[in-house]
Amino acid sequence: MTIDFIINQFTSLIGDFPVVAFLVACASVGGLLFVLMALNAMVAVYVERKVSAFMMDRLGPMGQGPGLHAGKWGILQTFADAIKLLIKEDTIPKSADQILFKVAPFIIFIGAIIGLAALPFSSTIQAVDLNVGVFYIIAVGSIGVIGIVMAGWASNNKWSLYGAMRSAAQIISYEIPAGLSIIVPIMMSGTMNLQELIQYQDGSILGIFPNWIMFQNPFAFLAFFIFFISAVAETNRTPFDIPEAESELVAGWMTEYSGFRWAVFFLSEYANMFIVSGLAVAGFMGGWLSPIPGFLNSPVLGLFWFFGKVSFLIFIMMWFRWTFPRLRVDQLMYVCWKVFIPIAMMNIFGVGIWKLIFG
Amino acid sequence: MGVVQGDQMILNIGPQHPSTHGVLRLEVMTDGEIVSRITPHLGYLHRCFEKHCENVTYEQVIPFTDRCDYLAAMNSNFGYVVAMEELMDIKLTERVEYIRVIMAELNRIASHLLGVGAYGLDVGAFTPFVHMLRDRERILDIFEYTCGARLLYNYMWVGGVSHDLPKDFEKICFRFLDYFEPKIDEYNQLLTYNKIFIERTADVGVLPADVAISYGVTGTNLRGSGVKWDVRKEEPYSIYDRFDFNIPIGEAKFGTLGDCFDRYWVRILEMKESIKIVRQALKDLPSGDIFETMPKKIRPPKGSVYRRTESPRGDLGYYIVSDGTAVPERVKMRSPAFTALSCLDEISQGWMMSDVLCILGSLDIVLGEIDR
Amino acid sequence: MSRYLINIYDTVNTLWTGMRITFRHMIRIKRDNVTLQYPEERWPRPERDIGFELEDYNVIRTRLHVDIDDCIGCYRCEKACPVDCIKINTIKSDRGEDIPEVAHTGETSNGTKKGFVVSRFTIDMSECCYCNLCTYPCPEECIFMVGGPHSSKHPIDYEFSETDRTDLIYQFAKKLTPKQKDNLQGPKEKAKA
Repeated sequence: MTIDFIINQFTSLIGDFPVVAFLVACASVGGLLFVLMALNAMVAVYVERKVSAFMMDRLGPMGQGPGLHAGKWGILQTFADAIKLLIKEDTIPKSADQILFKVAPFIIFIGAIIGLAALPFSSTIQAVDLNVGVFYIIAVGSIGVIGIVMAGWASNNKWSLYGAMRSAAQIISYEIPAGLSIIVPIMMSGTMNLQELIQYQDGSILGIFPNWIMFQNPFAFLAFFIFFISAVAETNRTPFDIPEAESELVAGWMTEYSGFRWAVFFLSEYANMFIVSGLAVAGFMGGWLSPIPGFLNSPVLGLFWFFGKVSFLIFIMMWFRWTFPRLRVDQLMYVCWKVFIPIAMMNIFGVGIWKLIFG
Repeated sequence: MGVVQGDQMILNIGPQHPSTHGVLRLEVMTDGEIVSRITPHLGYLHRCFEKHCENVTYEQVIPFTDRCDYLAAMNSNFGYVVAMEELMDIKLTERVEYIRVIMAELNRIASHLLGVGAYGLDVGAFTPFVHMLRDRERILDIFEYTCGARLLYNYMWVGGVSHDLPKDFEKICFRFLDYFEPKIDEYNQLLTYNKIFIERTADVGVLPADVAISYGVTGTNLRGSGVKWDVRKEEPYSIYDRFDFNIPIGEAKFGTLGDCFDRYWVRILEMKESIKIVRQALKDLPSGDIFETMPKKIRPPKGSVYRRTESPRGDLGYYIVSDGTAVPERVKMRSPAFTALSCLDEISQGWMMSDVLCILGSLDIVLGEIDR
Repeated sequence: MSRYLINIYDTVNTLWTGMRITFRHMIRIKRDNVTLQYPEERWPRPERDIGFELEDYNVIRTRLHVDIDDCIGCYRCEKACPVDCIKINTIKSDRGEDIPEVAHTGETSNGTKKGFVVSRFTIDMSECCYCNLCTYPCPEECIFMVGGPHSSKHPIDYEFSETDRTDLIYQFAKKLTPKQKDNLQGPKEKAKA
């Protein structure tokens, strides 16, 4: 909606130049999305370091005392890291495939940023209001695999190849339970449009609970868990981080990347986390609706509720990372194909029967 | 990327790797993900310990023994001085024996904490590792209070110990034990009974008892395969025969007997047994003078001795040849981790790459001891 | 089939227990924190169970220090060092006599009469293995590691890193010019040489 809004403003203010209007709208919205990605990465990295430190009985980045070398509570640590990554030397191994090596980060980045374009931040703030929003996000999320395999192959390094192959198998497999689980809200609300999906969750159950899809139906609750865990697997986070398993493969498919190229990978990993959490929130947890049914709903407050819920889900992802050991590749595949997919299919079946009986 | 024998790939788990416990090079021949052969290449940490020992006096050897197995330095010292005292026929005071046992068992707890924590790190669990290091730090603070050093102590001397216990030692030690015992239950809840961890370690890398004995594997690795053999009970040295403790053995808790989980589980149980020993020793600690039986000049009679003790890694043996002068003629250290590493090839046949590092972590090797 | 369902139940149960433990650790960080924020906070911090009072330590491993006025030149510390990082040269002098030209006192603070002038006493701290074997045989207790139980003689110092490796070779003996060395050696020694 925002792009349409900008195009209309441009046309009314300046004149009838459709191509220029389109380009200006896309550039400005794209810039805003990029700023959102960068800010998200900075905040998420800081929160991850602090959360991991607190879970391990230590303090994480701190900066106190005279000099404030990293800002109070270490807030400036991420700025320092970002500056360091930007000024680092750009090394490319001589025997690496030069073209593929340089193109791989771009592809992953594209996959991440165009996914952000369809998320409903609020009732009026959304880059594009697609009629097939859910389908679009799921489809675009798999562009990243191409980038990962390219990066692993181009590094000319056995370890990177290992990581890339494992990652390709993992992401492609876990798309299936994720896709099957996201069908549940689509079935229940009858639309793939994200804004209408959220509107469907307006109102309340029994007067006090919010009418979120998660709460309407025990099968939908189960579908939320399956979707969330498959989403964690799609973004290569522990317990599914076998492609970038630190203690086995040094850094998996990212080993040969340093400096800004690595920062791009990093940015897109956190953006992916944001996208799948955003989709889970929009599909199952009521999007930008407030948890207290009926109160505190407005375009501005909706933004606040959306970001709050997404942050909660990202915190749970971090909680998973610092508690569990990682699964081995074949165990990962077993969990996906023999546990998640049967349960996801059973969910669809169950939701259909529930809707038939209870309406 | 070389290809050998059709579609076999040679992969180097190189000297620099986050997961080899020291500088170890493993040359792995794999077929995709399945491992067919492993060849360890050693020697990156060789510091000529045995040659040094031929040039320095008997008491100057003790700092060198520290540096072999740096995670269990007290036990390395202990092995050496027990062998020397057998050679020179020295009878120690009671207080010295009790102090030595307390220090050795505390160091056993510290070494197992690091071994188990690093194993969790190899498998991917970051938090239990840091928690175990935090508790290990408290033990190291106790050691620092007694002998000034956290990792390499030079504490046990031939005929005694270098310093008496400082003031309030019993109080501090009991405080640590009371703090630490419930922590083991917390580690069990966080890591041991975690289903993902059990899936990763149960049935993996099975070391059958007869294979272990034929390779000469001792210590926790052997006990994990079900063989009840502990030097402290079979050939007791010092005053270990006075204490009441069990020998935990692997019992196929979640998989086959002798898999990685059993070795890990034996280490956790051994920590509990060590706590028992330390409590008994602290309760019965006699008073006395520790410098009574320390010889002024160490000049053993001509002869040789081989004595083994139980270090956290296994059966640590010292073979000392003396020719009557103040400088030893030959000191050989039999390293338990060396034999543990030698059976790596046999037990990791047919497993995947991630499992190789899992099995290596469960053997709990220290390269300083292997390469001396 | 039941094995499959029991597995799923076990998994969810144990994972939830593990998550509860880390959450508990996270919210109790104020009480359980073990980080010592160096350099603002320094060791030891007895109130946080990180170290105890320095004077109560039996021995400490820090920088070596020699009170050169107490050294009688007996070479015992040089022989005791396993890595040969102490190097001493001495010149024979008259027993118990003060030699003011080279600031040499004839008696140590314990009353022992000195028979040697120490012309060179270097300790290479980069080779030292911190085993403390040199401090035990010294009859005058003039070589020690600073701080800890010796805090009254010298405050603790464990931050003695240098930018140039040769700065870690500590020279404790008073500097003698070659002329002074000649004078000290005396006619008997000169006749020998």
